[in-house]
Amino acid sequence: MRSITPARIRKTFGIGGILFFLFLVVFAILPGQLTGLDPVRQDTRLVLAAPGTPGHPLGCDFLGRDNLSRLVSGSGVSLLIGLSVGVLSTVLGAFWGLLSGYAGGTFDTVLMRLLEVWYALPELLIATILMLVLGHGIVSVVVALSIGGWMGVARVVRAETLKIREQAYLEAARSLGATPLRLLLKHFVPNLLPVLFVLLLFRIPGGILGESTLSFLGLGLSPPASSWGTLVNEGWKALPLTPWILAFPAIMIILALLAFQWAGEESGIR
Amino acid sequence: MKRILRRLIASILLVWAVFTLTFFLSRMAPGSPFQGERKLPPEIMQTLLAYYHLDRPLPVQYWEVLKKTASGDLGSSFKNPGVSVSEVIGRALPVSMVLGGTAFLESIVLALCLGLWMARSGEPAAGLLRTLSSVWVALPSFLLAALLIEVFSVKLGIFPPALWTGWSSVVLPSLAMSIAPAGYLARIFATSLSETFRSPFFQAARGRGISHWRLLSAHGILPSLNAVVSILGPISASFLTGSFVVESLFAIPGIGRVFVLSVMNRDYPMIMGTTLVYTGFLVGMTLVGDAIGEWIDPRVRSL
Repeated sequence: MRSITPARIRKTFGIGGILFFLFLVVFAILPGQLTGLDPVRQDTRLVLAAPGTPGHPLGCDFLGRDNLSRLVSGSGVSLLIGLSVGVLSTVLGAFWGLLSGYAGGTFDTVLMRLLEVWYALPELLIATILMLVLGHGIVSVVVALSIGGWMGVARVVRAETLKIREQAYLEAARSLGATPLRLLLKHFVPNLLPVLFVLLLFRIPGGILGESTLSFLGLGLSPPASSWGTLVNEGWKALPLTPWILAFPAIMIILALLAFQWAGEESGIR
Repeated sequence: MKRILRRLIASILLVWAVFTLTFFLSRMAPGSPFQGERKLPPEIMQTLLAYYHLDRPLPVQYWEVLKKTASGDLGSSFKNPGVSVSEVIGRALPVSMVLGGTAFLESIVLALCLGLWMARSGEPAAGLLRTLSSVWVALPSFLLAALLIEVFSVKLGIFPPALWTGWSSVVLPSLAMSIAPAGYLARIFATSLSETFRSPFFQAARGRGISHWRLLSAHGILPSLNAVVSILGPISASFLTGSFVVESLFAIPGIGRVFVLSVMNRDYPMIMGTTLVYTGFLVGMTLVGDAIGEWIDPRVRSL
């Protein structure tokens, strides 16, 4: 019998959490008629209704919209943003790191110096300034956060690429006359995939947190859209009266961050 | 000496690169700082643009602003004409320094205590503490702030929920800012400590039978501090982004709030001024962190 250790609990929680959130995304994407959730319908008689009101298990917000529906659709939006930021920034970073590590020499030095400049700035500072250029909206948030946060990935991928370069199988492939393209696609990329997967798991919570912070500050998504960030923002404004409106998205954010973080930590590296 | 000089040049280049990026990004942004509720007649718009030299070609503008900035003149705010950027920053910076400094000290003290506790406890407890610390790290600062306000201002009424009115208003925001970095630092410190505990020099010191306290402080904690000190630069970045959020939440007139407001208003000189202050601060913190690292840990010097 296997004993229960904190590490195993974290891993189970992480994987279970991710499955739960993927389920939520599917649920949020399904049309309202199927799920019975409508995040935009207002009922002025139910403004700030408490949880447990018939038909509205989580109550209603300041415009009389159903909290549960808004939470589900908001979760979908936030998770999609988190996933997209994760994928986009991992791809960007992988591209940069692979290029730098594979090319070597002066090219590598130049790319790494550029990376250092970018890396010196906090993700949120870059993203905020980029939001100026891009305007509000889901795509803007994804692009801004991805451009703000790919540098860590690039560093790790470059280090891994340098390791692979020294491997005997690579030397063998090269001496057999493999073209650079073949080397990249058949040897570097497949060997990088496990690392990339873990990096992705660490980037997703970064994207989720970035989105919620930007939207919370009023710099991300604008009001009609619901995401964890905008929901927290609305909950914050009604805090003394109805603390649960803040609590629901808050709990979701913490659960999501933990799920991805633990899944990442227990699946290798670190 | 030569190394310090090289670092300094690299830092200046970094600030210049950030200046250039910020300049072009903010000029690329759609909309203009003079677009308000009311539409301005085209002649007035033209005069305004000419007054601020915004009608010139971009490279000319870039050169002008760069020259002015290099001589220490950050210009005046577009949104509140007549108010100079340096004035606004001069008023906001001390507030942020007090807040950030307090949060910084709090997080270091918390991290050292927690890290020591994590490294010295046995397996089931250590795993539990590690789990707890990752929950801690995952707490976004705005949630923590909401929790603190709910408990200490609304329920208990001990500390003010917002504004900047003396020492009592430092407590909640600084706590909200320091908790997450403290959790992160504590984990790094704990890892470094447990490595030190296993190292031969520590075992030898223990074998010589020196006092428990001296063993722990001089042979355990001091050699492990370097891991913490070396990430002080990057960690100060998290205080910085913490300051955007926390200052906006508590309505504190600090530099984070000034930055967020000027981004919303497209106030180019203000954005440039605050971004440069931030970059200078980050560069400075990294240099200071490295200097402290060399000072407390001779092993770094030989590298």
